Amino acid sequence: MGIYIKIFFILFLVLNTEARPISYSDGHTLMHFNDNMKESIYYHYSPSFKYSIGVEELNNKIFDRSETNLRFTYLVNRKNTKNSQRNFYFQSAVSTKNSNFIYGVHGDWETRRYFIGFDYKEVKNIIDYTDKHILLGLAPYLGEYGDFHTWLMVKSKKNSINNKQVTYPVVKFFRGNLLLELGYDKKTDWDIHLMFRF
Amino acid sequence: MIRLLFISTLSINLISSDEDHHMHQNSHNHDVYVQGEKLEVDQERFKSFLYGLTNSQVAVVNVNGMVCDFCARGIEKTFVKDKAVKRIDIDLERGKVLIAYSKEKEIDFDEIKSKILLNGQNAIDFSILNI
Repeated sequence: MGIYIKIFFILFLVLNTEARPISYSDGHTLMHFNDNMKESIYYHYSPSFKYSIGVEELNNKIFDRSETNLRFTYLVNRKNTKNSQRNFYFQSAVSTKNSNFIYGVHGDWETRRYFIGFDYKEVKNIIDYTDKHILLGLAPYLGEYGDFHTWLMVKSKKNSINNKQVTYPVVKFFRGNLLLELGYDKKTDWDIHLMFRF
Repeated sequence: MIRLLFISTLSINLISSDEDHHMHQNSHNHDVYVQGEKLEVDQERFKSFLYGLTNSQVAVVNVNGMVCDFCARGIEKTFVKDKAVKRIDIDLERGKVLIAYSKEKEIDFDEIKSKILLNGQNAIDFSILNI
């Protein structure tokens, strides 16, 4: 499994990719995220579609402490075609309370029907660790603009602290400016991701 | 039947040639043609979009990278800031943005391209219909 994930990452890096941690120009985004690693509230502003700056207040569940991070995400490459979009992002965060920091890459490719995404982070904290995931999605129906949209997805994640690969189902719903992503695994419990753009 | 009625109405009453923008529109069977090329639009959606519009011009813009509702939101938000824009709609299936402008507006494709690029997508080409 590990070698396939590595090949997958390498292919993505070679082919470029795309994702959505940045909004449209002059767009604001508010997110709540909760999984077995952290619970956070993250606000970011995108002066341009190329980058976003934001602040994240989080409860680090691994080290049982709260942190405030300043985050910066940059769109390194985007490829738009008639039926698809792919992105490749650089992402980073620095703590306002200590010398902890995070950097990594994020990529995705999607059509109206299919989605493939990955995320890789190096986390410098009390203990340094890596955190990565891949996400595969299928839209069971193709909604039009303004409709209620649904994605059925599979997420596989691993961090170097517990060093266990966890794979579980995720559903994503969105309508208008509101998005909700829910995932569940018996070992890691719920992943909840709520996003609002304005 | 309703569709046929709509197309007939569209071709007889609503669509006229736009010499100022060097566009030529005509209707052939159930399709709308601009400069001899078929305008790929969802007729029902287009009908709803045109409903109640008068003294307007509609830009039908082909856009690359518009693959999801969530990522197309910014396009609408950008264009509605323009006071000359009466209405906007997104056709995700065909990758088109429909923008209804007031008649007085001089439509500039470069302006449309730059506004769509603000959202991270690419406008490829466009057609203008007078309503």
